[in-house]
Amino acid sequence: MRRTVRHLVLCLAGLLPMAVVLLAAPPAGAQLRSVELYAPRPFGHVIGDTLALSADIVLEAPFRLDPASLPRPRSLDYWLELTDVRLTDGGTRDGAQRYTLELTYQTFYAPLEPKRLAIPAVPLTATDGARQVAITVPPWSFLMSPLREIVAIGEGTTMALRPDIAPRPVATTGTRYGLLAALAGVVAGLGLLAWQMGWWPFSRRRDRPFAHAAREVRAALASSAKPAASSTSPASAPGHRAALLALHRAFDATAGQGVFAEDLPDFFRAHPAFATTEAEVRRLFAASRRLFFGDDPIESAREFPPAELVALARRLRAGERGGA
Amino acid sequence: MRLGIRRGRSALCTGAILLAISLCAGVAFSVRLILDRGVDAAIAALAAGRDVPVATDARPELLFARLAFLTTRDRFDEAQPLMNRIAATGAPRLAAAAFYDLSNGRLRVAIGHLESNDIDPAVLLVRLAKEGYRRALMLDPGFWDAKYNLDVAMRLVRDFPQIETSGEEIPPEAAKRLWTDLPGVPRGLP
Repeated sequence: MRRTVRHLVLCLAGLLPMAVVLLAAPPAGAQLRSVELYAPRPFGHVIGDTLALSADIVLEAPFRLDPASLPRPRSLDYWLELTDVRLTDGGTRDGAQRYTLELTYQTFYAPLEPKRLAIPAVPLTATDGARQVAITVPPWSFLMSPLREIVAIGEGTTMALRPDIAPRPVATTGTRYGLLAALAGVVAGLGLLAWQMGWWPFSRRRDRPFAHAAREVRAALASSAKPAASSTSPASAPGHRAALLALHRAFDATAGQGVFAEDLPDFFRAHPAFATTEAEVRRLFAASRRLFFGDDPIESAREFPPAELVALARRLRAGERGGA
Repeated sequence: MRLGIRRGRSALCTGAILLAISLCAGVAFSVRLILDRGVDAAIAALAAGRDVPVATDARPELLFARLAFLTTRDRFDEAQPLMNRIAATGAPRLAAAAFYDLSNGRLRVAIGHLESNDIDPAVLLVRLAKEGYRRALMLDPGFWDAKYNLDVAMRLVRDFPQIETSGEEIPPEAAKRLWTDLPGVPRGLP
């Protein structure tokens, strides 16, 4: 089909300059202004060729072509096929209604010598609602040429057929490239995730003390809070202690030195990524001071319940991941 | 800082979405590749001369391979339903090739009949072949091999005007006009 269209377009493009105005019909009434037929070259066609004819029809304004009078694609003769009919409405301008009627024929005549054949006229009807006017797209004749010699010179070539088309395997190249692209996407996605999460092989790319600490905090609290009914109830002292220690170690590792409550302003200046958590971190340090030096583990745990501890560890991890 | 966290999170999301889409696409492409491989194996088997049963709703490429297999073995009655299936799938190039191959097979057998002076079955086969070439050319007007073979078939039929005119598609007067310029008789015919 695409070939057909290309062929048609080629025909039209090549022949427009020499398009012959075969008939500038004198108006049949005042209703029909003109019918102009644009045709391809009138010679050199062989069996199976398509012939693209185009007719420009101009009518007086209230008249319109009756769509029912258009020919339908069909077999017109034993050798002639009308394969496509296309009507383009060119709109009304200066009181004239314009149409372009494109007719595509296909000839199946097998001449033995160049032979003149005719495509018959196409009758159409225009109407303004009340009156009807007959319009005729003029006939067109052309020369068909034979494809083969009449008597073959070579031995046994008269009946020699062109070879069969062998079945070919399904083209898989596109699918293969698609699969490769998808695999590349999987690798890229995994790589991005691993890089962000600090998984292998990026686990040693840069130490992420808070990522480590977040894991430890969760593990410590989970192991100690198991008997507890809910996550908001204070954890047992060893778990809480271990969780706080893990976070302190992460602070120390991030700063490269021991971090105490007094060092926090310097710490946040050096690591602005954690600034959003400053208030909570201060509270954390106060709670741990109470735990480790004030010897009041229950109060400390109440001040900083496990759920909050885990949440803070996560936020610190996120800050470390995004901003450091 | 907050921007940093957001950037980290968006990178994480991008990674996860990329991974999910790629996995889905990978699975889809793999399935398609496996199916294609199966079809290719069947096509290769048919080309090698092994008769592989083909479902009527198979891919047009596979239907065409089976049609070519049947056509080269002169089993036209079995090939014709496959031809209709291929034409219904809407793959014009493949359908044109299928019409062409089937017509070639019929024309070859018809020429064989003519060489042994067996005219009646030959005429029927030539008519079917001509119709097939016409259908192929309507699907693909630039199909030169089909033009050539249609021309061969047309000249074969010129030798039997009285039989051809009994057909319903050509009115007798048209046929008479057509045959007046018959210049010669192709080799190997009565």
